[in-house]
Amino acid sequence: MQHVLELGRTLPAGDLLTIPARTAALGATIRAVAAGDEEAFARLYRDYVRMVHAILLGRIPRRDVDDLVQEVFLTAYTRIRELRDPAAFGGWIATIARNRATDYLRHAREVLELPDELAGGDPIETETFAVLEIVRALPEAYRDTLLMRLVEGMSGAEIADQSGLTPASVRVNLHRGMKLLRERLGLETAAGNGPTRVDPYER
Amino acid sequence: MTMNDDYLWDPKATPDPDVAHLERMLGRLRSTAPAPPVVANDERRTTNHERRTTNHEPRTSNDRRAYLGARFLAPALAVAAAIVLMVGSTWQGVAPGPSWAVSTVIGAPRVGASALIGDGRIAVGQTLTTDASSRAKIEVSDIGQVTVDESTRVRLVESRDGRHQLALERGTLHAIIAAPPGQFVVSTPSATATDLGCIYSLHVNDDGSGLLSVEAGWVAFEERGRESFVPAGASSPTDRVNGPGTPRYDDSEQSFRDALDEVDGSKGSDPARRAAALRFVLEHARGRDAMTLWHLIPRVNRVDRTIVVAALDARVPMPASISRDAVQQLDRAALDQWWDELGLNEASWWRMWKGKAPATR
Repeated sequence: MQHVLELGRTLPAGDLLTIPARTAALGATIRAVAAGDEEAFARLYRDYVRMVHAILLGRIPRRDVDDLVQEVFLTAYTRIRELRDPAAFGGWIATIARNRATDYLRHAREVLELPDELAGGDPIETETFAVLEIVRALPEAYRDTLLMRLVEGMSGAEIADQSGLTPASVRVNLHRGMKLLRERLGLETAAGNGPTRVDPYER
Repeated sequence: MTMNDDYLWDPKATPDPDVAHLERMLGRLRSTAPAPPVVANDERRTTNHERRTTNHEPRTSNDRRAYLGARFLAPALAVAAAIVLMVGSTWQGVAPGPSWAVSTVIGAPRVGASALIGDGRIAVGQTLTTDASSRAKIEVSDIGQVTVDESTRVRLVESRDGRHQLALERGTLHAIIAAPPGQFVVSTPSATATDLGCIYSLHVNDDGSGLLSVEAGWVAFEERGRESFVPAGASSPTDRVNGPGTPRYDDSEQSFRDALDEVDGSKGSDPARRAAALRFVLEHARGRDAMTLWHLIPRVNRVDRTIVVAALDARVPMPASISRDAVQQLDRAALDQWWDELGLNEASWWRMWKGKAPATR
């Protein structure tokens, strides 16, 4: 992930920037977007599109995900002046995405048949969509976090930074989500590890 | 934390085989959508559906007070906003992102995830989707119309002066375009159709294969350097593996078109079957199928090219000004001169749009 330190200049998140500095940089970007700066909006999109895409992919048919990603960002662009705390942007846009997905599904049930994924007969695509369906059936916290990690390639630190979750929560979600996914895919047995592995996060 | 969880947390750590496999598989689903176009000033654009669902975004207590105030002032603000928009668009010359008018022909098409009721607009980046019982019509800027059939999904990719592009992901569209060549483009999963001033239909199957059929004018069909110039009354199939097939007239025999599919490789790659199919095509080509034979020249290997050139020569004699060797070498000028003998538009006319010779196989 990258955050904006100054307009037009990006730096990697992590050790180079402290949390207050990252928040200040994000605040500058958000103020620029609110002032109509299209380049700042493009940077905000680039930084957060993976999280929004993962949230939507876990909820709605893939063929409509890209459209809804765009709608979510347009909504954020339209309403960004309502955001009081720049540090809350990630959680804010994640909420917009979840609400937009809920609205889509309600609308789909009322008006349209919910379309199935189109795998096109390709066995690789068929397997991919089958695994996606299994991930979608996981509890929400695990599903979102795993899709950010496995589909979007985000690190745990990036997920925590963008979603507003604590790093500890992300670690637990990744661990337990992956454990559940392994079980449902039959990987535990195949790997010989057995489903009895100790959960280090079990209270 | 175990080693496996180290990799889950940090993709730079030692890979866990299961996680890495899932990453490779699910990574195919990663987002590819570009950032949506936004307006350059404060008049921010919203989609139809967003206007219906504004209650979903998180609000603070201050926002709530503002919201309640706005609710009672809404009618007055709406009038004021309309005036501001009219004055602003005239005075400042600032326009929203490109979009085209779209209307329902029958049923309930969708623009993005929102149902299209009657008329609406589709913006760059948005998708128009029809189900099994709906159709829609799109105004292509000011240069033409596209009718979108049932069970179709099409995205508006680009719209600016001299360049308008749709991406047909599946289904069927019919285009009527009145513009200079090269301004209207439709990409599909296996080929890109460039309008050369015409009326045509384009169909894409779920596996990405498809068919271009031209009713009037010309369409250039291209993918990875393999090109077809398809005249009125002709069609060109396409598939993901081979790209655009050899164009053929729709009034040719079915057996002729089947043999061409075999030559194009869309029915597999058995050399013996392909050789037999090529012989069939060359023996059964009519005079007007010279257009097809000309397209075959760069599509076959050097050995087969000899007999294709002979077959074309038998129907439309090679001009004296060019050599057989030049044709064998796929010399562009030589091929163009022979094309000009076919009685269709001169090659120089349709080369203008791109300035590029048909590529070799």
